[in-house]
Amino acid sequence: MSRLGMLIQIAWRNLLASPINLIIGGLILAGTFLFVVVGGLLDSLNEAMARSVVGSVAGHIQIYSSKSKDELSLYGGMGGDPDLSAVTEFPRIKQVLEQIDNVKEVVPMGSSGALITAGNIVDITLEKLRNLYKARDGQFDDPRLKGLSKDEIETRIASTRRHVRQIIRVLEADQKKAQAILREQAVDAEVVAALERVSQDAFWDDFEKDTWGSLEFLENKIAPQVTDAQLMFLRYLGTDLDRFQTSFDRMQIIDGTPVPKGQRGFLIAKLFYEDQMKLKNARRLDKLRDAKAVGRLIANDDELKRFVKENRSQTRDIVLQFDDLKTAEATKKLQTALKSTEPDLIVLLSTFFDTTDDNFEERYQFFYKELAPMVDLYKVRVGDTLTIKAFSRGGAIQAVNVKVYGTFAFTGLEKSPLAGGTSLMDLMSFRDLYGYLTADKKEELAQLQKDTGARTISRENAEADLFGEGNTVVAEATAGVIDEEKTFTGVGRRLREDDLVKRVYTDAEINGGVVLNAAVTVKDPKRLQQTIDAINKASDDQKLEIKAISWQQASGILGQIITFFRGVLLLAVFFIFGIAMVIINNAMMMATLQRTQMIGTMRAIGAQRSLILTMVLAESVVLGVLFGGIGIALGSAVMSWLHTRGIPAPNDVAYFFFSGPKLLPDLNGGNLVVALVIILVVTLLSTLFPAVIATRVSPLRAMQSDE
Amino acid sequence: MRTLFVSLAIALTAAPAFALEKADMVKLLAEIDDRQRNGGDYKALIYLEQKEKDKADVVREVLVYRRDADDKLMLLFSKPKSEEGKGILRLDKNLWTYDPGTGKWDRTTERERIGGTNTRRSDFDESRLAEEFDPTFVADEKLGKFETVVMELKVKDGFDVAYPVQKLWVDKKNHNILKRQEFALSGKLARTSYYPKWQKLFSESKKAELWFPGEIRIFDEIEKSNSTLVLFKAVDLNSLDQNMFTKAWLESKSR
Repeated sequence: MSRLGMLIQIAWRNLLASPINLIIGGLILAGTFLFVVVGGLLDSLNEAMARSVVGSVAGHIQIYSSKSKDELSLYGGMGGDPDLSAVTEFPRIKQVLEQIDNVKEVVPMGSSGALITAGNIVDITLEKLRNLYKARDGQFDDPRLKGLSKDEIETRIASTRRHVRQIIRVLEADQKKAQAILREQAVDAEVVAALERVSQDAFWDDFEKDTWGSLEFLENKIAPQVTDAQLMFLRYLGTDLDRFQTSFDRMQIIDGTPVPKGQRGFLIAKLFYEDQMKLKNARRLDKLRDAKAVGRLIANDDELKRFVKENRSQTRDIVLQFDDLKTAEATKKLQTALKSTEPDLIVLLSTFFDTTDDNFEERYQFFYKELAPMVDLYKVRVGDTLTIKAFSRGGAIQAVNVKVYGTFAFTGLEKSPLAGGTSLMDLMSFRDLYGYLTADKKEELAQLQKDTGARTISRENAEADLFGEGNTVVAEATAGVIDEEKTFTGVGRRLREDDLVKRVYTDAEINGGVVLNAAVTVKDPKRLQQTIDAINKASDDQKLEIKAISWQQASGILGQIITFFRGVLLLAVFFIFGIAMVIINNAMMMATLQRTQMIGTMRAIGAQRSLILTMVLAESVVLGVLFGGIGIALGSAVMSWLHTRGIPAPNDVAYFFFSGPKLLPDLNGGNLVVALVIILVVTLLSTLFPAVIATRVSPLRAMQSDE
Repeated sequence: MRTLFVSLAIALTAAPAFALEKADMVKLLAEIDDRQRNGGDYKALIYLEQKEKDKADVVREVLVYRRDADDKLMLLFSKPKSEEGKGILRLDKNLWTYDPGTGKWDRTTERERIGGTNTRRSDFDESRLAEEFDPTFVADEKLGKFETVVMELKVKDGFDVAYPVQKLWVDKKNHNILKRQEFALSGKLARTSYYPKWQKLFSESKKAELWFPGEIRIFDEIEKSNSTLVLFKAVDLNSLDQNMFTKAWLESKSR
């Protein structure tokens, strides 16, 4: 024990004797600090992201068909959605998986995307008018009109007609402005004539003499004059909504209600609903208010200035929503609020949206109290039927009508575009859109192909096969009579009128069809890998033809981000300690050479080689433990401070990685141990060679030096 | 007209080494257009088949209705059952799609694929090459056993077409398009189509022969493994319902 104390004493004295030791110590301190802090942050990020991914869409494990061309990537890959084969035996797979120890729940899924547009405001209003006229004839293409009395329908028709006429007035005013600016040749005479015709009372007096013809004139001549509505890319996850809502307990309904058990329906992700479906002016007002709440000012913030500018210039979406009565009402309200006599609503709105830091709150309140109730704030409202058109697996466009029951968000991830960008759809509608070919459908197509008997020609031989010797290109034909009357059975319409919205599907129906993937939640997440192995083994044994992967793998590039940063950290630590090793080695070599006389003397008075070896090594260990310890202590202090304070998410994307508005990093005990081990290994390895050299110093050498 | 055809035929066959003048090419395009245009109504039953790598074949039967005098066109899918009643309606510059399953009309564009195949509206509509494109002579070429004149067509200002540039291989003897290559605005080749079966029948309303391409083979140049077959199964030149080219009529087919 006294020997150890003596060695530490010597080491301590030598440590303070050489300034180079401070540099070595500094490097060790920096490396250790970095390892503890960055390693801890990455671990915390990993855990937070796991909570986000597992809790919002993936579950702990994802399964998909092992015959798939691509790997499953829940957030899409570089080339878009992965090409997954359909899982056709889901009920059997679910049964087998639920028998595996640690498996808690298996939730069927499939994700896809669609571009949706409701058409421009004229198209929307004319469609409304068309449906009202149909409802008057007893044909309810818009189910919301069912149950309205004749008088109510007539009142709505009159109101919608007034709305269309108001739109025409706005378009006419636009046209006149354009005529004043453009050269005569640039003005489309056909457009001018069409507008003139529909602005006359005569057109509207005779409207119902040929209702459908009048509507088509408006749809084909007037509506194209308004810019098309913005396309929205809607990403959706088809799933067993009941099971999803219980398995992913972070999911909260924000507006409306959950989809009733077993029914078809759609839940829109709240963030997407606000960002994409809300009236742009209102959304910008919301964003301005959020920004001001955190201290940003319109006066000196370029983004906020841009919002104000866009609000001022983009008022047509509001103006085109009003009929003549609402136009007059809104004009009056704005004139009073702005103390203005300006008669043009567009000018008034532009003035109103010219918000400053001083008048913002007052105008924000005015907008939501006075103007918002007069407009459709959202393109789709809760309770509406949304038509989603998507490309089926075969490449054809499929469309379904789904009722929107509400909006939802995941607790803590309300602002995350990653978690808030995917909406939820029932599995039956998803399957309709996916267009999986059932045996019946396959047979129908095969019969059609067989009846036609077309030959297949390859691209390579096309010219030779089609235009080579023996081919004639011209032939006489006989006009035939095509009687298609019996061909049309009205199957599409019947399907719509079956009132799919109200049908309640059984568990067997929901789980019985194809799925693309499924989320597996587990009881004990620590046994994730064993459970994945058990699922893959069960798949092999029972020929389920599925593949199980962790949430991290299923997250694609996203899941690899933490692994990537961990790699960068390890590389940085490797370099720092690598440099430290070289420096320590050189320093110890120099120190050893400087102390040749001392070591020789020690050897002469009886010190064994092992003592010299231990002495040199002890010096390094003391250096490492001291500075490494300071690094660990500093790192731990910083982590503790960060844990108390929290790291706020710098932007909306970070919400997902932080699993909420703040990341609360935890100190990882494992990182401390690893840091300590690294220090000891590095210092010992770098000192080993100088220490061996030191043991070779002989007493004779010490005496020779004296001479 | 006969004189024009004769002079064109002479120009095409007798002087193969010389480039065609622009006026001659425009005349040739006008002739191609005129042959395929019917004075009255037109109805065709068409079979569509799309083959794609690793996917099941897309198979459809579609009825094409045309009233060339009014530039009207309607496509109505009849088979398979899942597609029945879906339609596309061209009214003026508007192209509408209808799905009886949703009861919705949507606007679509010239670039939209028809029924999940690599066909476009222009593959079924009357030919308007002379009206929509400016031709340039490229070369005389042999296509199989056929002597052809190759010309490049660029879309004129103000016309919305699926592909702004195309190359045509026109049979010198019969003046039929045998091959067509269509290019995107970037110059990238998008489709190569072959027309190996031109058929003609006498049209009472036109008082002349009406030509139609009995078969079109389209090869996708972007996804090389994809190809489309368009087969004209029957053509009917009887008069169509006066109110046929309306949304109401198309909707009525699904009731």
